[in-house]
Amino acid sequence: MSNIFLKNRTINEFRWENLGDVKMGREDLGEEMPVIVYRLMQFTMLDVLTKEFGSEKANEFFVKAGFLAGSEFAKNVLDLSVDFNSFLANLTQALVDLKIGVLRMEAFEVESGKLVLTVGQDLDCSGLPVTNETVCHYDEGFISGILHAYTGKKYDVKEIDCWASGDRVCRFNAEIAS
Amino acid sequence: MGDILYAPRQAHLEPAEFSDELKDFAEGLTVLGRMVNETRTLAGQLSRGELDIALPDHDNELAAPLKALHATLKHLAWQTKQVARGDYSQHINFMGEFADAFNDMIGQLATQRERLQAEMDLVKRRAEDLERSSSLFEAISGSMPEWIVMVDKETGEHLFVNHPPESVLASDIFEKQLYEILLEYAQPMEIGDEPRTESFSLISDVALQYFELRLYPIMWYSHEAVACVLTDVTKEFEEHSRLEDVAYRDTQTGVYNRHFGMQQLGEWIGAEREFFLVFVDMDMLKYVNDVFGHGEGDIYIKTVADLLAGVSGAAIVSRLGGDEFMLLWDKKDADGRDLGAVTQLFEDLRDKLAASSSVDEKGEVRYARSMSLGIVDVGADNRLSSSDLLSLADERMYEYKRAHKMERRI
Repeated sequence: MSNIFLKNRTINEFRWENLGDVKMGREDLGEEMPVIVYRLMQFTMLDVLTKEFGSEKANEFFVKAGFLAGSEFAKNVLDLSVDFNSFLANLTQALVDLKIGVLRMEAFEVESGKLVLTVGQDLDCSGLPVTNETVCHYDEGFISGILHAYTGKKYDVKEIDCWASGDRVCRFNAEIAS
Repeated sequence: MGDILYAPRQAHLEPAEFSDELKDFAEGLTVLGRMVNETRTLAGQLSRGELDIALPDHDNELAAPLKALHATLKHLAWQTKQVARGDYSQHINFMGEFADAFNDMIGQLATQRERLQAEMDLVKRRAEDLERSSSLFEAISGSMPEWIVMVDKETGEHLFVNHPPESVLASDIFEKQLYEILLEYAQPMEIGDEPRTESFSLISDVALQYFELRLYPIMWYSHEAVACVLTDVTKEFEEHSRLEDVAYRDTQTGVYNRHFGMQQLGEWIGAEREFFLVFVDMDMLKYVNDVFGHGEGDIYIKTVADLLAGVSGAAIVSRLGGDEFMLLWDKKDADGRDLGAVTQLFEDLRDKLAASSSVDEKGEVRYARSMSLGIVDVGADNRLSSSDLLSLADERMYEYKRAHKMERRI
């Protein structure tokens, strides 16, 4: 029997509210869980998508998903009205608070908007076996989504160093898309 | 292996020269040599503070901690630049004691900047307030009729003037004179003194101006100054003089009236002044009025009044009644004259009056002008009241009149 109140509700289309009330729902287990569970979901999904669509397409899906996550995260967690330095400070703290990673800026060109940043102790990749490849496609999209939400400009974000490629931090170049 | 560790530049292997069993080993040694060399190079670069460098290959696990250190130093360089630009919002995480010290430093810099900013804001607000107050003061003072001159006590400089002098002063020759007067009044005043009020006049051949001056000692932009607020009271002063004349003068003759004369007499007695009181009675005024008319009588009265007023500028001449006058003359102003000399002076005056007698068209005297005198020498030891003195003078005047009537009969 259909319920008019639940009509058109679906979890397949992302909305921030659909993340649910974790504290209420997991009253004993709480809001946190080991990183391994996150990675288990992420890399099995990558595996399935790669087998289904090929690695390039699978990585592209991850970038897109990361972009959506970054945009929503910025809109719902960060204050987008403050100046860039304050925004950056808030973002850094939020990433630490949520244990996503340790964001550190290395360079920022005001004129071009180009920036270089690193993420240490990254949720996605730190501690992965070295496979000589960059694997943080989701992070690329995530950073791009955050920058887009704040600046209104589309950013191309490329990971140039990664734990999985043998580095100890993930380094990203971000440039405004031409 | 020894070369890899101690002479890396000459460490070299050609795996092709090795047998099949040792080829992999030789290749492994070559990889190890490259990694050691890259790591050594990176360590040297970091020790020299070189950060814009090419990093070892990704597969170089040996160099990974140094690459992490490189990333940290790059971030610190950026952080330091941000601090130099005044961005105190960034913090360093997970760098142990260094992060604590760095974050403390940023916190202190931010607090210091906030304090400085607050002080600057306060100074700015004060300056704005001052500017507003100053504008308000100038607007108010500009619309005030009073003339405000802010005089520097030390230098005499005029720190502020709300109206140009030419719009206030009746003559431009007054300007120097006025500023000298203001400085003279201002210089003895000290901050904290009660405001003072003075009045003064500026006199020249062509103009006369009266001012009331209020003096307020104040600090004015770090100068010890006196605010001189001037009100031009010339009109009021002239009106006051006119009213005084109406109240104290006899309008017909221009000499003082009875009220003023008696008031002065009382004051002179009270002050134990030494003076001559001369009581004057015009002879035959009634006859002149009856025979020649009041017009002639008025001329007669004015003639007597003018004669008496001419005795001395310092003497007070008042008209007590229709034909009676009183003259008060302080001995200090009488050039050392005694009673005899004064009596003689008035006898001469009586002769002068007789000489001014009215003549008809034939040159014959129509009536003789004359006056009777009663003179009292009032000393410092006088105990008589003003009315007693006047009665005494009146008595002497009648004696004088009788004597001179006798003379006329004889």
